Amino acid sequence: MAETTEVLEEKKVKVKEREPLFSKKNKKLISDPLDENNPVTIQVLGICSALAVTVQMKAAVVMSISVLFVLILANVTVSLIRNLIPNRIRIIVQLVVVAALVIVVDQVLKAYLFDVSKELSVFIGLIITNCIIMGRLEAFALGNKPWPSALDAVGNSLGYGMVLVIVSFFKELFGSGKLFGVEIFGNLAEKTGLYSMGYMDNGLMLLPPSSLILVAIYIWVQKIRNPSLIESH
Amino acid sequence: MAINKDSNTYTIGFAIVLVIIVGGMLGMVANGLKPIQDENLKNEKKQYILNCLPGNKLITRDQAGDKFAEFVKQRLILNYNGEVVENTLLNSDNEVDIKNTNDAFSIDLLKEYKKFVQPITNKFKGEELENKLASESNIHYPLFICQVDGETYYVAPVMGKGLWAAVWGYIALDKDGNKIEGAVFDHKSETPGLGAEITQDGFEDQFIGKLISNKDNYRPVAVNKPGNPLNEYQVDGISGGTFTGLGVEEMMRRTLIVYHKYIKNLNRS
Amino acid sequence: MDLVNIFIRSAFVDNMIFAFFFGMCSYLAVSKTVKTAVGLGLAVIFVLTVTIPINFLIENYVLKEGALTWLGEEFSSVSLNYLTFIMFIAVIASTVQLVEMIVEKISPALYGALGIFLPLIAVNCAILGGALFMQEKQFATISQATVYGLGSGVGWFIAVVLIAAIRERIRYANIPGPLRGVGMAFLITGLMGLAFLGFMGFEI
Repeated sequence: MAETTEVLEEKKVKVKEREPLFSKKNKKLISDPLDENNPVTIQVLGICSALAVTVQMKAAVVMSISVLFVLILANVTVSLIRNLIPNRIRIIVQLVVVAALVIVVDQVLKAYLFDVSKELSVFIGLIITNCIIMGRLEAFALGNKPWPSALDAVGNSLGYGMVLVIVSFFKELFGSGKLFGVEIFGNLAEKTGLYSMGYMDNGLMLLPPSSLILVAIYIWVQKIRNPSLIESH
Repeated sequence: MAINKDSNTYTIGFAIVLVIIVGGMLGMVANGLKPIQDENLKNEKKQYILNCLPGNKLITRDQAGDKFAEFVKQRLILNYNGEVVENTLLNSDNEVDIKNTNDAFSIDLLKEYKKFVQPITNKFKGEELENKLASESNIHYPLFICQVDGETYYVAPVMGKGLWAAVWGYIALDKDGNKIEGAVFDHKSETPGLGAEITQDGFEDQFIGKLISNKDNYRPVAVNKPGNPLNEYQVDGISGGTFTGLGVEEMMRRTLIVYHKYIKNLNRS
Repeated sequence: MDLVNIFIRSAFVDNMIFAFFFGMCSYLAVSKTVKTAVGLGLAVIFVLTVTIPINFLIENYVLKEGALTWLGEEFSSVSLNYLTFIMFIAVIASTVQLVEMIVEKISPALYGALGIFLPLIAVNCAILGGALFMQEKQFATISQATVYGLGSGVGWFIAVVLIAAIRERIRYANIPGPLRGVGMAFLITGLMGLAFLGFMGFEI
């Protein structure tokens, strides 16, 4: 059974070979995860890190970039060896590939880009456990050629990053009155700007439960705009 | 496909090859880059020490390596009673040597914290805690004596834990051991935007001018809930970063008492 | 720290889901019905209780600086810390696979109940999270680590069964269309998380 589907796939792949690099199908790989197949709000992957790093926009952007980087590398690597991986241990193999990539990236950064690595150190563990990476490896890279896999990685990490950035925008703005660390609503200690009128930051916005509620609102808005995504239950 | 991918032999063979490749690669990368990483860590530590001195906050990590000897005149190790441990007094002519266990710079506070301090702080409170800390000779208290524009400053490292993992810092005390003249903090993995804010100037600079001494008796600095009026022994914590703030308070309370004793004794004699 | 204390702390105060939001993906995926939630919850308890002690041994006899001293004095300064992630992950994934095979052979009934959940668990970040917390907490004995694993698992079980029960109830409620399913699950978890914030910093 498994072999026949594989043969079929091989054939499909051969037909695809003459496609232009950015064919309609390939473009869809990037655009789909941004909306109707968003990894966070629709596929429900990578929630833990989405909740942990959205207090600040800067952290959200750094996390998105590192996921982009690791996901591309992992997707391409797994896609390259996809025909060699024994089926029974494929999850272990994928986990090992991801963990090894993350460690290598971490070690290289520690040596040559020390400041970036300090910025990232908090996220390293979160990247390995980010189920988007495992999810995409399992769902896409195992059955596709390296180039579409790379595009899929780009699309999904952008979709992930988009949710992170939007959620962190609201959390940072209303939680601490800042964006990217720049004071927007004035200075709390010196009572300037909005604070002079008695405005207070909403401390609840800084706590993890508020990201869950913000993601829920994000899903709400997204599904109002695109009713085909509404679930029956 | 000639090879049966589901056979045991293939699976085991694949696993072995994978382990060898991955293990070899990681080992090579980790060992090959270790010297550069160690150098970075060394310079980072130097940078912390220099950054907490007044007017030196902007020294970068690359500069810190060269400027260290210019500012740090002496380094030594204290015991809990504030006495200098034998043979540990080094001056700026001695190059920093992380292999020399008598060099204050080589003390790995994180390791000592996990191995010796934490078992004590987890179990005991109050006076008993102090007695236990005093009787544990494996805990070292490194001190860096610095000169900036002719003024003497004592830079004391502190190490504790926040919500997730280690938090640490370097505190500059004035020559009388009464006042904090500068502070830098850092952390391993506190939550960005909450606990991680302790590394921001807004938090660190609050400590400047705070007192640790009340009529020559030690009095620790408290990290308060933000938004309340403060006296000269209190600073504002971070909203949402309560546990990190508690960690900062605890490590300063536990450690600075030693340096306070040392400086007071030094000035008395 | 006695064992009861560790258990209560890890199950309620430091609840994997509500305090750290670990293992959210599978938590949201299987909480549609109580039955599947109980299945995965039990599997998580089981895997955490098995892997945490194994990882404890790995940490203390392989990874930590000086952990390899049992091989000989010359290894006393070797630190394999950089391998932490990959070792823990490998232990978890292979334990899961091993358990799957053993359960399949010994008790087909149990396999029928848990089987489909086991592969899901290898990628559940609560398991790796638990191992990393265990490393951070520096437990003194293996029994403490085991109890910690058991407690974390029970905490996760409670959380997933609670939300599954709520989701079953609200199936008949008139929820705005776009919020149905995942959206509502997020909202409920947020509210439950707020309630569990009350446990934060609880000392026993």
